[in-house]
Parts: sequence; structure tokens; C-alpha cells
Amino acid sequence: MPGATLEAYLAVAALLFGIGAMGVLLRRSPLAMLMSVEIMWSAAGLAFVAAARWWLDMSGHILTFLAMTVAAAEVAIGLALVVIIFRPRERVDVDDVHDLAG
Amino acid sequence: MVASLWPAAVVGVPLAGALVLAAAGRRMHPRTVAWIAISAVGVAFASTVAALLDYLARREAMGEAFVGLSTRLWSFGGPQAPGIELGLLGDGLSLWFALIVTGVGLLIHVYSVGYMADDPGFRRYFAQLNYFIFAMSLLVMSDGLVGTIAGWANVGLASYLLIGFWYQREDARAAAIKAFLVTFSGEVGLVLATALLWNQTGTVQYYVLFERLEHVPAGVLTAAGLLLLWGAAAKSAQLPLHVWLPDAMAGPTPVSALIHAATMVTAGVYLTARMYPLYAAAPVAQAAVAWVGGLSALMGALVACGQTDIKRVLAYSTMSQIGYMLLGVGVAAEAAGVFHFFTQAFFKALLFLAAGLVIHRLGGEQDMTRMGGLARTMRLAFGAYLVGAAAMMGIPPFSGFYSKDAILEAAWSHGHVALWAIGILAATLTAFYSVRMLALIFGGSPGPAVVAASHGGGHGHPEPAWVVRSMGVPVAVLAVLATAGGWVWIPGRTAWAATVLDGFFGRFRDGLEAAGHAAGSLPAWVLWAPLAAAAVGAAAALAVYAGAAGPSRTRIPAPAGVAAAWAAGLYVDHAYRRVLVEPALRFAGWVSRHVEAGGIDESVHGVALLAAQASEWLKGLQSGFVRRYTLVVLATAAVLLIWVVAGV
Repeated sequence: MPGATLEAYLAVAALLFGIGAMGVLLRRSPLAMLMSVEIMWSAAGLAFVAAARWWLDMSGHILTFLAMTVAAAEVAIGLALVVIIFRPRERVDVDDVHDLAG
Repeated sequence: MVASLWPAAVVGVPLAGALVLAAAGRRMHPRTVAWIAISAVGVAFASTVAALLDYLARREAMGEAFVGLSTRLWSFGGPQAPGIELGLLGDGLSLWFALIVTGVGLLIHVYSVGYMADDPGFRRYFAQLNYFIFAMSLLVMSDGLVGTIAGWANVGLASYLLIGFWYQREDARAAAIKAFLVTFSGEVGLVLATALLWNQTGTVQYYVLFERLEHVPAGVLTAAGLLLLWGAAAKSAQLPLHVWLPDAMAGPTPVSALIHAATMVTAGVYLTARMYPLYAAAPVAQAAVAWVGGLSALMGALVACGQTDIKRVLAYSTMSQIGYMLLGVGVAAEAAGVFHFFTQAFFKALLFLAAGLVIHRLGGEQDMTRMGGLARTMRLAFGAYLVGAAAMMGIPPFSGFYSKDAILEAAWSHGHVALWAIGILAATLTAFYSVRMLALIFGGSPGPAVVAASHGGGHGHPEPAWVVRSMGVPVAVLAVLATAGGWVWIPGRTAWAATVLDGFFGRFRDGLEAAGHAAGSLPAWVLWAPLAAAAVGAAAALAVYAGAAGPSRTRIPAPAGVAAAWAAGLYVDHAYRRVLVEPALRFAGWVSRHVEAGGIDESVHGVALLAAQASEWLKGLQSGFVRRYTLVVLATAAVLLIWVVAGV
């Protein structure tokens, strides 16, 4: 849409980021938390691409690639950790994992 | 003043001896220890004699202009506080005292070699005894109040060490602390007086001070005089600060002889005599000195009559005799008082050492009521005791007669009739307890302790000859001195003592005669009264105790309550305990519970508690809940973002 300004895209990205943050805070399932973190990554990627297209700067596109790469790596390791942590447990609930309490 | 090294030798050599023995004594053979100690005091004595001869010769040559031999040592203070000097002075008075300190000290060192021969602390003993001689010499040879205070304090330490020599015994430990505390209270007075005088005159050195005294207001002089009296009374065991002296008898007998009879306890006499120009200008303080002395003379003699421990009798007797000395100083007869110090040193040391012979032979027994019948078996001790007692009672031609009579005559002729009467009464009591001692120890049939000793109790093995000689010779020498010591000043015949003392006492007053030795103008009965009093006392004691055996030996010719009071020292110790000691202990207990445990301990615990509680709170931050951590991270990020965006 030729009339859409950068602010609109950033607003959508912010909204997405907020939704993802809420998800991380409010969901009890580790998988749901990881998914919410992915949403946050996407929001950041959207912001980068929109800014790169608006200001015609290639750095934004490159950073988006980096973000997606790191997001993928994080998910891989995160899922592996989730499997290891929750294999011996009955419920898959993040609140049950508080053994490192002070 | 002529510069000289003699005073430094008198003070310094015993110090060197003490240091050597303290440092290396443990590895030395006892004979080496004894030789070092005796030589140190011997050299000090020789130096004193040399200094005295030098002094007399120079006085001959230079007359009034010559003050004394001096050695400058140290200057304290600074530009802001000038005049605080430490130095040594050999003038008539200081050499007179030093003669006794080193001379009698030497005799007692020799005696101690035999007396302490079996003691494991032999080396420590001689180091401490040498240290004492140093301290006392410093006290009397100092040229100003600073040195005297230094000597005073060191003498206090030496006394503490030697009273508590047998520190395994609880009574020795307690007595040492008691002596130190009481005399320390007197030091407060001494230091305050020095500060006062320095503040007013800008100097602490005696001769300079005396010249500047006329500019000092009379009230200040009186205050200083009373403060000095406080110090003197504490150190010289005068009323009411005498309580430490009887307990101090827990030390070895030679120590009692030297420190608590002949020398240290006379420090108060030295001080008040030395400061006579001040007392002359402060009649109230001078009267206080005389009355403290007189009352102490009376009380000491009274209580001595009720004691059963031989050394306690002698301790109270010393208190009484020093009372006479202060009485003399207080009635402006300082030379007579100081002369009595001279003779008393001889006969009191003699009595103590002779008592030591008896105690040593009986294996440590000190209760007179368990003795008796030693007249034939211990002839030297008996003879010595007779001489000492005769001198103490003031029987001519023994030494005590001349000095005691000089004091009493001066008291009368200066108008102090009440004090004279007190002195006469004390003389009666002195004779009473002296004869009582003789009768109980040497007279009658052998008491239980003597019987036990002769059956192999007592000292056990027979004494080697050198021990017998080491103890016997000083006793014999002192017996001669106690007999002839008074002959140095017989009015109208000899005046050697007057020559020595006039150098000091005649300087700030017109001549020595005013210092109380004019016997010519007194009625005959005044002259004979002391002797008559002694005769009465002696006769009374003979009546009560001669030939007494068994229970009658403990008889004290007074109603039961009075006798108990005498034995308990007129309850002065009880009074101190109630008024000072118990409140102090209660206060200490209160402080221990509330300040120490309650306050300080609680504060430390409080800090620990604070740390624990802070830690508990911080622990709350680490709940272990992932979502809580996430919240914190996000919130912090949000805050930082807003801060950056809004602030920058």
C-alpha cells in the first residue's frame, strides 16, 4: 500500500512484540513460551525489514537474516533443553521447575 | 650545683644489675646471680659514700653557695611547656636517704642470699630487689618532682612484684594488688600537686621551685601540700591509707624488712621533708601532716598490741614509727623526723631480719602465740631482738632514744602539746607491744611450733655454714648500727648528722636549730617523759606476759570487744570493703551484665542479625520461577527504554 507509513509497520511490530511478551509471561507450557518468543523475534524482523524498505538501507535486510538464523538456533537448543528438563516430570509446566531457588 | 656522676652511679648501677639479671639470670648459676646483685648495690653504696664525702668537702670549701652534686638527664615538655626537667641531685637530704637505701639495701641483699637459698625464684628475686634499689634511689636522688614521681611509680611496681613474689599463694596476689591500688591512689595526689605547682611556678625542680614559692597564693600552696600529703600517706601507710601494709607481709621477710620498713614506706617522709618550704608557707597543710602522723603513730601502736602474727605486729609498728617521722616533719622539726627515719631503718630492719631468723628456723611459722622459749636456742636472734626493741622503745644509749626524743621535744617546744601527749601515749604502747613480742617469742617455755621444729619439723636439713653467715652477719651489723646509729647526733656532743642535713634544711630557713633540736630550754619532766612512758608500757607487758604459758599467751588486756577490734585493725579494712570495694564490685557486675553483655555484645549480634535479615530479603529475589525472572527482565528493559528515549 503506497499510503502506509513506517509508523504503521512499526506499530504492528510493536503489537506483535507485546503479544509475544504477554505470551511468555502468561503461558505455563514451555512450548507455548518458545512459540511466544518466536513471535517476538518475528516482530523484530518485521521492524527491521520495514525500516530497511523505508530508508532504502540493506543493513535491515541483513540483520533480519541474522535474526532468523539466531532464532532458529535458539529454538533448536531450547527444544532440546525442554525435552531434557521435562522428560522425568509428570506435568509440562514451567512453574514446577524452581529448584534453583535461593 | 656542681655537675657530677656520683648520683648517676647510685641510681644507674642497680638498674644495670636488674636489667642484666632479668635478661640473663635464668641461665646463671645462683652464686653468679648473688654476686652480681650484691656488687650492684655495693657499688651504689660506695658511690653514695663517695658522693657524701665529696658533698661535705665542697660544702666546707664553698659554703652556702654550694647546693649539691647534680646530673642532668632529660627534658620533657617542649617550647609550649618548659621547665619539666628530669635530673639527679645529691644534696644533704638526698644523700642521707640514699645512704640508708643503699646501705641497708646491701645488708638485706646479703641476708637474702641465705634466706632465699632454697627458693626456686632466687634469680627473679634478686633482679626485682635490684630494680627496687634503683627505683628508690631515683626517688630520693631526683632533683625535682618529675623524677620523684618516676621513682615513686617504679617503687610501686617493685613493691607489687615483691609482695606477690610467691604468686602461687592467693593471699600474696591479693596483697600485691591491694598495695598497688592504695598507693596508686596517692600517686594521683602527687601528680595533681606537681601539675598545680608547675602551673603556678613554671618549674618542677626543687631548688628553683622553692625560690618561686612566694609568688604562689597561699590557697594553692595549701592545696598542693594536702595533695602531697595524700600521696605521702598512701605510700607511707598512714591513716587512713595504711590498710595495705599489714597484708603486704605476705612477701618474703627480707622484702618486708627492706621495702616495708626501712625504705619504700619512708618515701612519704622524704617527700614531706623535701617540700618543707612549701609546708612552712602553708601552715594548714603542715598541721595536717603532723596530725596524720600523730594519729597514725597512736593507732599503729594500739593495733600492734592486739596482733598475733609477728610480721603484722612489726608492720603496724612501722606505721606507728613513720607516724612519728611525719609528726616531726609536721611540727617544723623536719631534721628530727628525718633523723628518726635513719635510726628506724636500723632497728626496724634489725627486728624484721631477726624475726626472719625465727620464722626460717620454725619452718614458716609466724604466730607468736605458738612460739616461746627461744631465748637460749636462738641467741643471736634474741640479742638482736633485744637491741631492736630497746632502740624502738627509746632506751638510751640505743639509737631510737635520740631521734624519738628529738621529735617529742620539738613537738613540745613548738607548742603542740596535744601531739606531744599522743606521742607519749604511743610510746607507752610501743613499749608494751615490744616487750610482748619478746616475751611471747623468746620467753617462757617452748611453744608448739618450737617443739615441732626441734623434732625435725621446721627447716628440715641443717643449714650450711654460708647460709647461717649470710643471715647472721647483716643482723649483727644492724644490731651495732641500731645501738650506735643515734650517736651521730647527740646535742652538745656530736653533730655529724646536723652537718649533712643543714645543707638542705638550713637553706630556706634560719639555721637547723629552728628545725627542732633545741633541748636546753625544756622542763626536766618533759625530757624524762618518753622514757617514763616506755617504762610503764614495758612493765605492763611484763606483768601480763612474762612467764605466761598456753592460753594465757593469747591474752590481751582489754575487754573482749576491744581486743577483737584491735586484732581486726580497728575495722578500717571492713569499712573500706563496705564503702569502696563492694560498691565497685557491684558496679563492675552491672557493667558486665548491661554494658558488656547487653550493650556491646547485643550490638555485635545486632549487626549479624541485620546481615541475616538482609540476606533473607535478597533471597526472595531468587524464587526460581522462570516467569518471575522473565517479568523482571522485561520490566527492566522497558524502564531503561523509556529512560533512554525520554531522557536523552
